[in-house]
Amino acid sequence: MSNGFLSATLLRRQHAGRLRPVLSNLAGLAFGITVSSAILIAAGVPADALIDEFLVATFLTSDGLAQTVTAAGPLILVGLASAIAMRIRFWNIGVEGQMWAGAIAATFVAIHQVGPEATRLPLGLVLAFAGGALWIWPMLVMKVRFGINEVITTLLSGNLAFLLVQHLLFGVWRDPASSFPISIEFPPASQFAMLGWGQVHTGIILCLAVAVVAWLLMEFSTLGYFATAIGFSRKVAAETGLPVRRITTALVLASGGLAGLAGGLVLSGTQHRLSQTLSGGYLFSAIVAAYLARSNPLGVVVTAVALAAVYTASDVLKVFYSVSEAVIVLVQGVVLMSILVAQFFTQFSIHLPDRPKQRGR
Amino acid sequence: MAAAEPSPALELHGVFKAFGGKPALEDARFSLAWGEVHALVGENGAGKSTLMNVATGVYAADAGSQAIDGVAHLPSSPQEASAAGLAMVHQHFRLVERFTVAENVLLALDGKGGARSIGDAARLIREKSAEIGLAIDPARVVESLSTAERQRVEIIKVLLLGARVVIFDEPTAVLTEAEASSLLRFARRLADSGHAVVLITHKLKEVSRHTDRVTVMRHGRTVLAGAPIASLDEAEVGRLIVGETVIPTARPRTAPGARLLEIAGLAFPGQMPGEGIGIVLKAGEVLGIAGVGGNGQEDLVACLAGSLKPLGGDILLDGRDITMASPVTRRRRGLRVIPADRFASGLVRQMTIAENLAMTGIAAGAYGRSPRLDRRRMEKAAAAAIADFDIRGAAPARRTELLSGGNAQKVLLARELDAGLKVLIAHSPSRGLDVRATEFVRGAIRAAVEKGAACLLISEDLQEILALSHRVAVMNGGRIAGIREIDAVTSEWIGGLLTGHV
Amino acid sequence: MIFLLGWLAIVPTYTTPLLLASIGLILCERAGVLNLGAEGLMALGAMTAAITILAGYSPIVGFLAGGLAAMALSLVFGLAVVVFRAEQTLAGLATVAIGLGLTGTIGRPFVQKTFSGLPDFYALFGLRGAEAWVRLVGHQDAITLLAPVAALAAWWWLYRTRPGLKLRAVGENPAAADIAGTDVQKTQLGAVLFSGLLCGLGGAYLTVAVSHVWVENMIAARGWIAIALVIFARWSPARAILGAVVFGSADALVPRLQAIGADVPVYLMMMLPYALTLLVLFLTALRGRGSGEPQALGATYLRQDKQ
Repeated sequence: MSNGFLSATLLRRQHAGRLRPVLSNLAGLAFGITVSSAILIAAGVPADALIDEFLVATFLTSDGLAQTVTAAGPLILVGLASAIAMRIRFWNIGVEGQMWAGAIAATFVAIHQVGPEATRLPLGLVLAFAGGALWIWPMLVMKVRFGINEVITTLLSGNLAFLLVQHLLFGVWRDPASSFPISIEFPPASQFAMLGWGQVHTGIILCLAVAVVAWLLMEFSTLGYFATAIGFSRKVAAETGLPVRRITTALVLASGGLAGLAGGLVLSGTQHRLSQTLSGGYLFSAIVAAYLARSNPLGVVVTAVALAAVYTASDVLKVFYSVSEAVIVLVQGVVLMSILVAQFFTQFSIHLPDRPKQRGR
Repeated sequence: MAAAEPSPALELHGVFKAFGGKPALEDARFSLAWGEVHALVGENGAGKSTLMNVATGVYAADAGSQAIDGVAHLPSSPQEASAAGLAMVHQHFRLVERFTVAENVLLALDGKGGARSIGDAARLIREKSAEIGLAIDPARVVESLSTAERQRVEIIKVLLLGARVVIFDEPTAVLTEAEASSLLRFARRLADSGHAVVLITHKLKEVSRHTDRVTVMRHGRTVLAGAPIASLDEAEVGRLIVGETVIPTARPRTAPGARLLEIAGLAFPGQMPGEGIGIVLKAGEVLGIAGVGGNGQEDLVACLAGSLKPLGGDILLDGRDITMASPVTRRRRGLRVIPADRFASGLVRQMTIAENLAMTGIAAGAYGRSPRLDRRRMEKAAAAAIADFDIRGAAPARRTELLSGGNAQKVLLARELDAGLKVLIAHSPSRGLDVRATEFVRGAIRAAVEKGAACLLISEDLQEILALSHRVAVMNGGRIAGIREIDAVTSEWIGGLLTGHV
Repeated sequence: MIFLLGWLAIVPTYTTPLLLASIGLILCERAGVLNLGAEGLMALGAMTAAITILAGYSPIVGFLAGGLAAMALSLVFGLAVVVFRAEQTLAGLATVAIGLGLTGTIGRPFVQKTFSGLPDFYALFGLRGAEAWVRLVGHQDAITLLAPVAALAAWWWLYRTRPGLKLRAVGENPAAADIAGTDVQKTQLGAVLFSGLLCGLGGAYLTVAVSHVWVENMIAARGWIAIALVIFARWSPARAILGAVVFGSADALVPRLQAIGADVPVYLMMMLPYALTLLVLFLTALRGRGSGEPQALGATYLRQDKQ
């Protein structure tokens, strides 16, 4: 059959095996990193500086490592948020919006000093989680009840959340002492304690704990088992009697909640106030972290740390080589695309056209 | 009967084809003369469709030769075959449902024969339709057409593309008896007008009246090549095909018992007007529902399984109402389902045998309320099932996608035929399985019923129905058209019910 | 009255980028490919147009350059999903990331540098005066007139020509189209490239004709609105005109309200286009899903798959 670009025949693999996906992903990752490096070099960053910044500075210096660890915290949480939604094939693209929602909740608790000081921080975090879950909930309903594509709805909700933050920052929550649109600083009761190493704060422990809990749930609990089945085949899951609706709702709300928690974490741990930046474009980071880790919570920790390194490195690049932080987004896009393309080798096999031997009659 | 022409319309010789190591055709041969209707017969998996797919360029043979009208030519694509005048009308139509008939034809013709616009296509359709006596309206949307009408669109399409050899793949499988004989008479007319027609079928009885010669295939080989129909001894052909329909004279129930399933007035969308479906099923019996696919069987199964809400009526399982109950509740009360497509509805292909086996149990709470997943217990249960059901080459940790069709179906059976089984809904349980697996499946169902379960068997395979049922019903247009004890069943009765004449 | 006039006058300029992008997206989705990269493609178009003009070229050249740059990026997306059968949703997001990343990086030095872009009819015809018709006509430019024409042309091509029939067949039932001799891959790739071109032109319009400057976050989710617009338009280019007018009107309301100093909280006002999009998606779904959605949208086609 000679139509199409490939005159060879493309067949879908019945089963991918264990080694092949790992190799393909690594190959895709390597390709993506190579292309990204090429782009950065073309943007004016010397090659040795690249290695220096991305590997040495971020992991082998105390300051760099501290910065990486600090940045990894929220990345772990949003990566988990993305991953658990991805498990049941719900594309939560509105992670940033849920972060904002969580940040708003955390700010509210902090600057209105809700509750006794001892419970102030936990309360802020719990409400941040609730805020994120609340923000994703309408989009879940729209998807489940009306079949509306969640990619667009969750993303647009992100825009709405940001505008709400703007509204609050220029309005009731504006710090009168500052000319910038920022809130007042959080009182110490709403801040994470510092660990004495760079900017690292106790929040990182929370992130790791959440990751471990998520992993335990996914691997060893009935919930995780059901979620995996639903992700593979919703139809079979429904017909074998799995509580599909309940699990979907639980996981999607948890996804929004984790993103909200991440927002609260960034504010309580690093920024200590609500402002217009939430340190970095988390939208794509979440997806890349989750996809690279194949939705495995422990894997997400690893990929989140790797991404955090990229963030740290790009901060330096920004200062010394005036490379915009948009380069992070570019790198993430390139890496994601490379890995997506690499899946081809896992899912399909190419067969050269067979020529039948003509035997004369 | 057609006289032998110097150049056969189509000739295949010494064809070999294997799929991933498994041979599908071994030294297959076939010869077709102009002006004849030639039946290519054999059971499922005999290689009939594969051979014709090789002839029309869908598959590339591993070895062999082909000649079209005497000229050696092995088409490497369906387009090439079509250009050489060879075309196949498949079982699964390749039509765009949202388009009209004219748009579909225009898509296929794409300028050939002067079809440059929809108006051209419509005109050509009307001309051809009148010429060959097949009525079809070019302006109708395919979505609104019946299966028989869609088949006519496919036929007109291939004829307009210039096909002189027309191959029909199981054309009567989805038609009522009246539609089928109409099609077969059309095939005769086509052959008489100078074409050559091949009918791929496993129902020799049905086509024999309109056929000139017969070729029989079994296990990828040609066991009887081009014998004139008149010279055929039915018993011998049956032997060659292995398994023609045998209606048993009586089948006693070994453990007759209480009414386990009662369906009354069940209504779902798409039914013909009238009353709903009513069925009473007792312990220890199998009720086989025969009928051509597309007559509401899927919907009936879905209503019983709990994935489709009926428009009206009641379903009682062992005396308790389950009409609106969830699948989990139905399962808990003793309902089990074997769906027609095991990987679309029954098993998660990417999960292991153990995970699939335990799924329904865990969902129903059989493994307790603890959130922890008891993998050890799951593996033990799986190991036991693998032994009991003789699932070959499998360990509990093996993903079901790696299993053969027969073994995967056994996994499904192991799960469904468990201790809590009261009523089994089996939808085409041995479809696509080889002979040994089919026997196993039927044996397992028989054994379960003999122990006191009840089974509602829904299948397009009449042989399967007759092999297992104590009572036979026929479904047509979403309704039960008639029920009889097995010893009162005759082919005329079944045929009449299928076409709605009784 | 003045407010109404002022508003109506600028509506077409807000409609045009949405319309252009959605025409491309409709054709792409009609071929069965879900292109979620619109936001990144529009951004690339906008930035490239600005850079080209700042480099001294004419506005028309800048406009076209924007289209071509986005088309180049869409080629990457197209190859990934059509040839390599990558997951379309994620590949689209990756495209957005690449587009936004590229524009953020390359476009940095060019931010806030104004230029004179495409002349509007005020300038082109030397219109003067405050009559209603003058205000209404003066604000438009050549492209605002061409966009609806392009939409109608796309509609005619899609429904009245053979190539359009083939494209629609690919999006409804690629197996049927394949067996009928259509080259599914070429059709899909062509549709993707076309959507890239038009999204780029839509983005370019924003810099070339509307703002005359490149700033960060130029596109502000309009790419996503265009994607939602396709659903609202039921995948018909003619209906897309209506949809683009609806969304464009909402979009145009915001600066108008700001200009007259309306006592509405500005940021809440800015939510209007996004909230409206969500509302429209909701209402469209209520009416009945799948009305017009190509049956094979988002599906990966492999000839060897069992059909």
